Amino acid sequence: MSVLKVIGSGLRALFHKQQEERELDEELRAYVESAAEEKMRIGMSREDAWRAARVETGGLEGLKEDVRDVGWEVALESFVQDLRYGLRMLRKNPGFTAIAVLALALGIGANTAMFSVIEAVLLRPLPYNDAKELVRVDSTWERGGIMTTYSSSPPDFFDWRDQSRSFASMFAYHMGENALTGRGDAKRMRTVMATAEMFATLLVRPALGRGFVAEENRKGANHVVVLSHALWRAEFGGAADALGKTIEMDSEPYTIIGVMPDGFQFPLTGSDAYVPIGFDEKVMTQRGAHYLHVLARLRTGVSVAQANEDLGGIMAELRRLYPDKDGKWGVHADRWSSALVGDIRPALLVLLGAVGLVMLIACANISNLLVARAAVRRRELAMRRALGAGRLRLVRQMMTEGLLLAVFAGGASLLLAHWALVSIISFGPKDIPRIDNVELNTAVLMFTLAISVVSALLFGLVPALRSSAPEVSGLVKSAVWSSREAGRARNALLIAEVALSMMLLAGAGLLIRSFIGLRSLSPGFDPSGVLTLNVGVPDAHYKNSSALQSYWDELLAQLRGLPGVTSAGLVNELPMSGDDFSSSFRVEGRTVPEKDEPSAELRAATPDYFRTLVIPLKKGRMFTDADRLGGARVLLASETAARMFFPGGDAIGQKLRFGARGGYEVNQGEVVGIVGDVHYFGVDAPVPPMFYVALAQAGLDGVSVVIRTTGSPAALGLLSRKVIQGIDRDALVSEATPFEEMVAGALGQRRFYMMLLGTFAALALVLAAVGLYGVISYSVTQRTQEIGIRMALGAARKEVLAMVMRQGLGFAAAGLAVGLVMAMMLNRALKGLLVGVSTTDPLTLVVTATVLLLVAVLACYVPARRATRVDPMVALRFE
Amino acid sequence: MSPGPKPGGVVQGTLDMLILKTLALQPMHGYGIGQRIEQISKGVFQVNAGSLFPAFRRLERQGLIASEWRASENNRRAKYYAITDSGRKKFKAEAREWKTQIAAIARILEATEGEL
Repeated sequence: MSVLKVIGSGLRALFHKQQEERELDEELRAYVESAAEEKMRIGMSREDAWRAARVETGGLEGLKEDVRDVGWEVALESFVQDLRYGLRMLRKNPGFTAIAVLALALGIGANTAMFSVIEAVLLRPLPYNDAKELVRVDSTWERGGIMTTYSSSPPDFFDWRDQSRSFASMFAYHMGENALTGRGDAKRMRTVMATAEMFATLLVRPALGRGFVAEENRKGANHVVVLSHALWRAEFGGAADALGKTIEMDSEPYTIIGVMPDGFQFPLTGSDAYVPIGFDEKVMTQRGAHYLHVLARLRTGVSVAQANEDLGGIMAELRRLYPDKDGKWGVHADRWSSALVGDIRPALLVLLGAVGLVMLIACANISNLLVARAAVRRRELAMRRALGAGRLRLVRQMMTEGLLLAVFAGGASLLLAHWALVSIISFGPKDIPRIDNVELNTAVLMFTLAISVVSALLFGLVPALRSSAPEVSGLVKSAVWSSREAGRARNALLIAEVALSMMLLAGAGLLIRSFIGLRSLSPGFDPSGVLTLNVGVPDAHYKNSSALQSYWDELLAQLRGLPGVTSAGLVNELPMSGDDFSSSFRVEGRTVPEKDEPSAELRAATPDYFRTLVIPLKKGRMFTDADRLGGARVLLASETAARMFFPGGDAIGQKLRFGARGGYEVNQGEVVGIVGDVHYFGVDAPVPPMFYVALAQAGLDGVSVVIRTTGSPAALGLLSRKVIQGIDRDALVSEATPFEEMVAGALGQRRFYMMLLGTFAALALVLAAVGLYGVISYSVTQRTQEIGIRMALGAARKEVLAMVMRQGLGFAAAGLAVGLVMAMMLNRALKGLLVGVSTTDPLTLVVTATVLLLVAVLACYVPARRATRVDPMVALRFE
Repeated sequence: MSPGPKPGGVVQGTLDMLILKTLALQPMHGYGIGQRIEQISKGVFQVNAGSLFPAFRRLERQGLIASEWRASENNRRAKYYAITDSGRKKFKAEAREWKTQIAAIARILEATEGEL
């Protein structure tokens, strides 16, 4: 039989429904009549014959329902009917509907928001052709069993590139900040300095012109530039004849050889221009100069493990050939997509788990509400059953109502999720890659739809099965809910709710405690009232180090003259900026093999840098203005450095020689003083040993400025920029940032995780409270009669109150106990996110348990008070 | 859902075939069909209205039977069902299939030890 026919007959049936119904009625009547006549023919009385015929035929309504169920159109029709009926039921109980939709919407909304973060950060492919074959290659250094990844040196890069067989292509790059000069005020550009293989590795070609060629990798040959599409549009209005023209970067001319396609961004957040890397002869031999990022494309069919084996072999050979420079270094390749999110992935997955728990709590909540309501609707359902509705039909009806709730909630949740995403984009930590790409896209919407439907199944099935249970006759007579079993199911759900909330609260409490602990740790300097900005000047304007130095002197003098400024200093890399610069060094008078030389962080700073940030001098003397070029080279050591390298307390007076330069000039000096420790890499990271050279002896062309002001740091920003660009128009000045913001930003990820988990825990708490309130209220309503009798027999209001409270708090206590145990077991998952707090921190557990208990008391108190207002007379007439 | 085989019931899946057979002899109304099946089977099969009517609706939807309202033998309006051409085809095919199966089952049931 053809499908068309089936569809046709179904459609006909839909449109001629009434006629069909009439005919079925008539046909059945005829059937019963015939049966009765037959029986009379064999001698039954008329009455007996009719009765027997009816019994034989069975329930007519049920039979009709079976006949109706034959066609496909019936399923559709009854679904529409269920929908209509469901809508009517929801409209009739606006209070229930509002609470259920709100609770679900919170749960689904939180899940949607969390998932969209995961989608944007972890799941979405990187925006390059065939991006899954891209790997990041890092240098590694193992110390104390912990492997740390570093950037790589040019000679290592070339050896990897030329000797490995696992990669189709490999390139190295580093980021630069340049001034776009010669076109009015200098503009800041983010520039990628890359080797020529960048285009082949990323499988991208300029939309206009060409990419780099290998010869342009050399310094001197590299004065060509490929513009980003955005810069091309902004500076040349998108004109094709921009090719071949020159732009000035840091006052040096670069020929435009290409323009990248619209939408191309590399690295992820994008840059303004791409310039060949410009290696000089010297750097080609510096195996210790780790400053390159390396990306490679796997050859087809080669796995990451194979690539690592390949690279490992090459590195072993390099270690053998250059024991002094490569002796301690290793190499490690990882898919770029996973290398990007290394320690972010587990944190986000823990949060996804937490938000899933919130969803479970919401479902348990709705489930409880539905079970309670099913009790109220018992009579209605029994009636429908008696009128011929099959059990399946009733379950379908109840599930449809659940689905309606879930769909409404899903819709509302998108609004909540949208708000959540807006705030994640503006407040989310900048060091989670691609977090500002979160959006409600198709994948996220599918997820929302899926969890809406799954949640409807979760919370709808139990009440639906329960309330459609077949005990027709008894139920028609009495609508009293008397099933103990149902009560037990509800209590179990309630206890589970409280337990899950306890767990989430404890987890959030731990993160908050850890965060407060970190916040209260002193970073070793005082960032309040300090403004920072970065300044770079074009090398070409300054013939030598002393010319540069006069520029910095002039700059400091002018800044100090600004109103409100109490001190201003310079340093080459700010604490918490994420930059590091470490070097091995040799102590005069000690003979150690080169490979065992110690290494430490190295900075260049002016005397006022320490004064401005309030870094205390512990011993010896501070840099002075007399420590200048031509004078004796001087160093300051941090306390940790002094203790670590000179345990005898004899740091002062030691002469050190560094492998790398602490500026363009200085790589040696005598320790003249010891200063306080600074948490350079954030308060949650160990304090590094640190040496400072005098900036005035270093000849730097780019520094960070710190300015302490009595006024608001933010207000000073514009003025400072003006002053600095007044001295050299081509100087590159960054946005001014209050230092406090930078310090807070260094804890950004932790703050983000804490806020998310805190929000989830708060949601869980609210949901559990609503659940507790709902169940106790319901139970009070059910027990009105009993309470009335008790009061009529002389029970005091206080006793009634106590009785109801006892019941509610019993659940809460049970949930709390289970939750505490679960928290102690499962919060281990948070370990990686905690600093200085154990996962079973007693204080946190006690405080969060108390909070939960207080909320539980409140949630029970409201209905309990209502119970005490029961009027015995009214209660006894109840029912 | 159709009930499993039980005393007086029809073997699952065969009711449609029995109805088609009955109607192949002559068009008939609902009650008559039930009676006829009972008669011919000598009371072994008793089909109740609960199975008959859904089956009528099903067969009609599939185009295997057609119905019309007519006066019955005692001059009442009754809905008469008649087999269609595709109904006949379907019946022949099913009957053939059924006979093959019965024969096979019978052979198995009557097999002696030696044959097995």
